[in-house]
Amino acid sequence: MPVRTGFIYCALLFAFASAVASAADAPPRVIPFERYHATAPDKVAAGNLLLGELNCTSCHAADQSQAAHVQKKQAPVLDTLGTRVRPQYLLKFLMDPQKIKPGTTMPNALAGIPEPERQPIVEAIVHFLATTGTTSDVSPLRGGVIRGESYYHSVGCLACHDPRPAENPPPALTTSIPIGTPSRKYTLPGLTNFLENPLAVRPSGRMPHLNLNGTEARDVASFLLNDLDIAAGLQYSYYEGTWDKLPDFSKLTPKAVGDAEGFDLSVAKKKDNFGLRFDGTIKIDADADILFLLGSDDGSRLSIDGKVVIDNDGIHPFSQKRKPLKLKAGLHSVVVEYFEQGGGEELQVLFEAKGKPPQELASLVVIPTPKNAKPAEAPFVVNNDLATKGREHFVSLGCANCHSLKMDKEQIKAKPTIVAAALADLKGVGGCLSDAPPKSPRYALDERQLAAISAALSTAKKQIVQPAEAQQVSLNLVRFNCIACHTRGELGGVEDARNVHFKSDMPEMGDEGRIPPSLTGAGAKLKSEWLKTVMDQGAKDRPYMFTRMPKFGLNNVGTLVTAIEKADESLIKPSPKIDIADDDKKFKAVGRRLVGAQGMSCIKCHTFADKKSTGIQALSLTTMTKRLRDDWFHHYMINPQVYRPGTRMPGGWPNGETQLPMILDGSTAKQIRSIWAYLSDGNKATLPSGLVTGGIELIAFDETIMYRNFIEGAGSRAIGVGYPEKLNLAFDANELRLAMIWHNGFMDAARHWNGRGQGYEPPLGDNVVKLPDGAPFASLPSAAEEWPKKKAKELGYQFNGYRLGEKRRPTFLYSFNGIQVEDEPSPKGEAGAFVLLRKFTLKAESAAPADLQYRAAVADKIEEVSGGYKINDAVIVRITSGQKATVRQSGGKNELLIPVTFAGGTANLVLEYDW
Amino acid sequence: MSFKIRFASFLVLLTCCAATAFAQTAKEDDYYQILRFPVPEYMSLEAGGLEWMPDGKLAVSTRRGDIFLLDKPLTEDPEQAAFSKYAGGLHEVLGLSWRDGWLYTTQRGEVTKLKDDNGDGRADLFQTVSDAWGIDGDYHEYAFGSKFDKEGNMWVVLCLTGSFDSKNKYRGWCLRITPDGKVIPTCSGVRSPGGIGMNAAGDMFYTDNQGPWNGACALKHLKPGKFVGHPGGNGWYKETAGELGERPEDPKSGSRMMVEAKRIPQLEPPAVYFPYNKMGQSAAGIATDVSGGKFGPFKDQLFVGDQTHSTVMRVYLEKVQDHYQGACFPFRAGMGSGSLSLLFNKDGSLFVGGTNRGWGSRGTQPHSLDRIVWTGKTPFEILQMNAKSNGFELTFTEKVDAAAAADPKSYKLSTYTYIYQAAYGSPEVDQTTPEITKVEVSADGLKARLFVTGLQEGHVHELQSAGVKSAAGQPLLHNMAYYTLNYIPAP
Repeated sequence: MPVRTGFIYCALLFAFASAVASAADAPPRVIPFERYHATAPDKVAAGNLLLGELNCTSCHAADQSQAAHVQKKQAPVLDTLGTRVRPQYLLKFLMDPQKIKPGTTMPNALAGIPEPERQPIVEAIVHFLATTGTTSDVSPLRGGVIRGESYYHSVGCLACHDPRPAENPPPALTTSIPIGTPSRKYTLPGLTNFLENPLAVRPSGRMPHLNLNGTEARDVASFLLNDLDIAAGLQYSYYEGTWDKLPDFSKLTPKAVGDAEGFDLSVAKKKDNFGLRFDGTIKIDADADILFLLGSDDGSRLSIDGKVVIDNDGIHPFSQKRKPLKLKAGLHSVVVEYFEQGGGEELQVLFEAKGKPPQELASLVVIPTPKNAKPAEAPFVVNNDLATKGREHFVSLGCANCHSLKMDKEQIKAKPTIVAAALADLKGVGGCLSDAPPKSPRYALDERQLAAISAALSTAKKQIVQPAEAQQVSLNLVRFNCIACHTRGELGGVEDARNVHFKSDMPEMGDEGRIPPSLTGAGAKLKSEWLKTVMDQGAKDRPYMFTRMPKFGLNNVGTLVTAIEKADESLIKPSPKIDIADDDKKFKAVGRRLVGAQGMSCIKCHTFADKKSTGIQALSLTTMTKRLRDDWFHHYMINPQVYRPGTRMPGGWPNGETQLPMILDGSTAKQIRSIWAYLSDGNKATLPSGLVTGGIELIAFDETIMYRNFIEGAGSRAIGVGYPEKLNLAFDANELRLAMIWHNGFMDAARHWNGRGQGYEPPLGDNVVKLPDGAPFASLPSAAEEWPKKKAKELGYQFNGYRLGEKRRPTFLYSFNGIQVEDEPSPKGEAGAFVLLRKFTLKAESAAPADLQYRAAVADKIEEVSGGYKINDAVIVRITSGQKATVRQSGGKNELLIPVTFAGGTANLVLEYDW
Repeated sequence: MSFKIRFASFLVLLTCCAATAFAQTAKEDDYYQILRFPVPEYMSLEAGGLEWMPDGKLAVSTRRGDIFLLDKPLTEDPEQAAFSKYAGGLHEVLGLSWRDGWLYTTQRGEVTKLKDDNGDGRADLFQTVSDAWGIDGDYHEYAFGSKFDKEGNMWVVLCLTGSFDSKNKYRGWCLRITPDGKVIPTCSGVRSPGGIGMNAAGDMFYTDNQGPWNGACALKHLKPGKFVGHPGGNGWYKETAGELGERPEDPKSGSRMMVEAKRIPQLEPPAVYFPYNKMGQSAAGIATDVSGGKFGPFKDQLFVGDQTHSTVMRVYLEKVQDHYQGACFPFRAGMGSGSLSLLFNKDGSLFVGGTNRGWGSRGTQPHSLDRIVWTGKTPFEILQMNAKSNGFELTFTEKVDAAAAADPKSYKLSTYTYIYQAAYGSPEVDQTTPEITKVEVSADGLKARLFVTGLQEGHVHELQSAGVKSAAGQPLLHNMAYYTLNYIPAP
C-alpha cells in the first residue's frame, strides 16, 4: 500500500501525517510514543516501548538483553467479554479492527485471509466469545448523562482522552486515545462494569482505575453512551450507614440498586441507619411555576437538573420544606437523597401546580418505554456448533497468545506450535511489520514506528544493560502517561490543550489547587509505604482538586516505585535530632498549639480531617504524617518554595528561625517536630484551637447596638439595630426600607467575623416579621396605579446615613425627589410588652406632591382591627398620627396605603408595630 | 459616657526577646524597633484603617466595624496607652481619613463621614458620602479608601466579585469621590487590592495581589484613565459616560505585560512587582515617609505591608518615560499579625495594624497594632536603585568599601517576568542572566554604577549584592533588591 510512503516525518507534520494516515488505516495510537518517544533521540527506547505496548513478546520471546527493556501491555482479558461488548460489534471489529476503531493497538490478526474466507471464521469466533456472557441494553438516565459529563471532564479521563463537548469539539489530539462512538461497542451495564474496574479487563494499568464507584461509573458510561435513547424512569440506590446529615452518596457504594415505583421507603431493607438516593426524569408539559414540597424524617434533599432546590437535611422529626421553581416544558432530571438514623422514618416528595392540590412527584416521572418495544438490533443467538469452531480458531489463529480467557475456570492455552520466532532472531522487516502480511497479523505501523522497532530489534543479543534508576523512572512515567498530569524535572506536564480541564473548587489556590503535584524529588518527599499505596490504590487527598490520582496496581508500577526511591535517595536530607519523644504528651500539646490560631495558624488554610478552615480549604493536616517523610517535612516547613516552587504555603520559620522564641526554647527543630508528633495522631488528634468556633452573639445591654453587614432579608447594605428592650430591626439601605423586625436575640456575627465574612446571616431571634419590599413612598396619581417596581436608586432615592440619639438609637436619613425623610424607630412601652414606634418626618424642599402615599404593608391578608390593621395574622400596624389608611388590591396582593400630606413643607407619620 | 480601657499588664516589648532569638531580625532591630500596643482580650483590633485625629489621638478602624481611639500613640511605654471606642456597627472599615471636622470611613458599601456632635467622645452623626458601587454577599468585595488628595478627593479601590469577575457595578475599579460626593470613575483593571496611598508627589498607588492577570503582587500607579491589568471589570465602561474614553481591548491571556502594554494604550504596567514569596505573598497597606528624615535615610520612599509575611517592605520609585517604576527591598519583619494598614506620623514613626483572619500570617497574633521607631542609627542599605540605559545605579546609605563595591563579582543579577494570564498567578518565566561587565564607584563612595549587558525590558531584575561592604566593613542589612524594569531609560 503506497499511502504511507513518502511522508516526511518531521515534528511539524505529525498532525498532518496522522490525519492522512487515518484516511486509510491509522497507525496504532500509543500515547507515550506520540507524547515523547517519537521525537526523542533514543530510537531504541522508542522501539522497546512499542514492543511492549503492541504486545510483541506474547508471540516473540524476548532474550535477556531485551526483556529488561520491554514491559508488556497485556491484551484485554476476555473472561466476561460477552457481558460487556455487543457481539454485533465484534462481528465488524474482528473483520478489520483498524478500520472500525482507528488507532487500535489490536492488530488485524486475520489480515492474510481473504475477506470471503475471513467472514465465517470471524463469525465462529464471535459465537465462541459470546458464550462468555450476555449483555442487556439499558438506557442511560438523563441525570446520569449530566453528571457523567462533568465527571468525564474533571476526574482525569481527559489526561488520555479528548474532551467531548456537545458542540464544537476541539480538534482531536494525537496524544489521546480516541474513544469514537462507544455505543456501537458497549451497552450501559457493560461499559459501567468496565469503568468500575478497568484493571480487571486491562490488567497492565495503561488504562488505570480512577476509583469511580458504581454510581459514578454508571454516570460516566451514561455520558459516553448518550447517543443511545435516554430513558426515563426512576432508579434507586440503597445505602447503609449512620449519619447525622446526608452523606455524599457518590462516594459510597450502594448495597442495592434497582427500579423504584416512587419516592418511597419500601425499597429500604432496614428501619434505621440507611440512606436512599432516587434518580429519575420528570416530564413537564408546558412551562410552569411549580411548588415543590419535600418532607422527611430524618434528612432529605431535592435536586433538579443538578441544582439543589430544597435542602431539608439533618436529624429531625417529620418536617416539610417548600420551594417554587420555574420549569420549562420538557424533561428534567430529579434526584432525591434521603437518610434515616433512628426513630420514625418518612419521605414525602410532592409538587403543586397552580390551583391544584399537591400530588406525588412520582406521577410526573417519565415511564420508560418497554425495552422489548425498542427496535433494537436483532438479538444475537449463540450457535453452539459455531462456538465450538470459534474456540478452535481462537487457539489456532493465535488469539489466545495475547488474550487471556478462562472458560469454566480453565485457561484456554495458546497453541505452542504457532509460537513465532524469538525477537532476537527477527530481521526487522516483513512479517507483522509489513503492510500486507500474508500470514502474520497486520499492525498498520507508520514509518516512525517501524524505524523505532527496527532500532530496538537491532540491539538483540547485545550486552545486558539495566537502565539507570533515573532513566527507569522517566521511561515508566512516560509509559504510564503519568506525565499527562505530573512533571518531574523537565519531563512532562499538562499539555496546553488539556490544561483548562484541570479544575478546582478553590480557584484561589491557583495551579496548586488544580494541577497534580510535581514528582520532582517525590522519592525524598513521600514515605515509601505511601508511595506504594498511592500507586497501587490511587489517592484523593486533595479534596479541592477534581482530578484524581488513579490506581495503577503495584504489579504494573512496582518497579517505578523502587526506581523513584532509589533515584531520589541522594535528595534526602536528615532532619536534626532532638531529645524529646514523639509520644510525650506535653510535646504534642505544644504541637497542637502551634498548629492552631495562637501559633502558626496552619488551620487558617488547611482543613483538619472533616473540619473546614476559615480561609481556603487546603489539604487536611491529618494526612501529613501518613504521606510525608519526617525529614522532608522539617525542611519543607522552613522553606516551602524550594520544594514546591510557587506554592502559597508560607514558610513558618524564615531562614530557619522561629517567630515564637518562648516556645520549646525557641528551637526550630523542636517546634517543627512537635507539630509532627501532634499530627501523627491523625484523625484522632484533639482539634487545634481556632478551628471550632461557636456563635458570636451580639447583645445590646444598656445601649442600642448596630450591625452593618449582609443580613438575610435586608440586603447587602443592611443595618441591623438591636435595642436593649429586646426588639430588633434591620434597615435595608439599598431600598431605604425597614426590612424586618423581630424579638429577642439580635444577630450572630460568627459568619462574618470568623472567616472572610461572606454570605448572608439571618436574624438570631424570634417572631421575625418581614415588611414590604420596594420603595417606601410613591406618588399615585390614581388609585388604580400600581406601586412602582423599580429599585429605590432608580426612583431617585438616596441613603444619607443616620443620627444617633437617646440611648444611641439611630434615626435613618434619606431623600427622594427633593424630600428629606427622617425615619426614627424606637421601642415603646414596658418590659415584656414593647411595641416598635416609628416616627417619620418628611420635609419638602419645594412644592410637595399632593398624592404621596406610604405603603405600610403588602400581604395576602390585611384585616382592620380595633385601632389598626392586622397583617397576615402576624403583626398589627397602628397609625397614631391620624391619617386614614386604605386597603387596596393590586397585583394579586392587598396593600395598606397611608396618605402623606404636607403642611408648611413638613409631613409627619407615626406608626406602631405590635407583634 | 466614655469607656476607657486600662491595661493591667501585658506589655510585650518584642524587641527584647527577639534580640536573643534570631539573627536577621536582631539586626533590623538595631535600627528599627517595634513597640507593640497591648490589646485587651475582649477587643478585636483587626486594624483596617489608621488616621490621626486633630487632638493627636490615633483612630484605628477594624474589620469588625469598630473605630477605636488610642489616646497616647506616641508613648514610649505602650502600656500607658488606652483605647476608647469612637464608633461601632460599621461594615469592615478599610480606610480612615480626617478632613474639616469629619472622620471619613470607607466601609464595604459606602464612604461615610462621622462626627461627634455632642462632644461625648463618640461619633453620633453618620452621613453617607457615596454609595455609588454595587455589592453583594461575596467575601472578596472589599473597598479600600485613601487619604484625601490635593483636590480634596478620596480614592476608593473596589475588589472584584470573588476575585475573578465583576458582578456588581464598578467592582474592579478605582473611583474618586469629590468633596461634594460626586463620583469620578478613575481606573479599571483592579483585582484584589490590599491598600491604597500616595507617594510624596501626591500621586496615588494601590497594591494588588497575585491572582488572575496578576502574576505576582504589585504596587500599581492609579493614573486617571488607565487600565491596570485585570479586564474583569471593564464591562462597566458603559456606565462611565465616556469620560474615560473607549473600553480598552482585552489583553491576551498567556501573553506578557509589556507586550500587551504596547498593544493596549490604556494599560499601565505595575510600577513594582513584589516577587512572590521572595518579598511577600499578600501586598497590603501603603505609607510614604513624609517625616523629612526623622525616620532615617528613606525620606519620601514608600513602605508597603505584606499580610502573609507580617513584614513591611520598602519601595523606591522613579519615573522613566513618564511611567513610575522602581525597586523593592525588604525592610522590617516581625509584625504581630498580618500587616494590613500603615500610617506614618510626622515625628518619624510608622504604625502598622494587622489581622490574620481568613488569610494566615507569620505574625501569630489574631490582630495587632505596632509602632516602628527609628533608633537613630543608620542601617547600611541600598537607598536607591535607578535604571540606566545600560545598567543600574545604586545609591547607598553609607560610604562603601570601594574595592568590594567595584567588583562585579560582589553582585548577582538575574531577570524574569510573569505570564500575563487569566489563570491564577504565574511562575517566574523567561529567566535570563545578564552580565555585569563593570562597576564604577563614585568619588564620594555613595554610589555604584553597574554596567550591564542584557537588560530585559519588562522583567524584574533581581540583584543580590552579597559582596558589597560599607567602608566600615559591614555587609548590607538587606542585600536583595528587585527592580521592575518596564521601560529602559534612553541613553
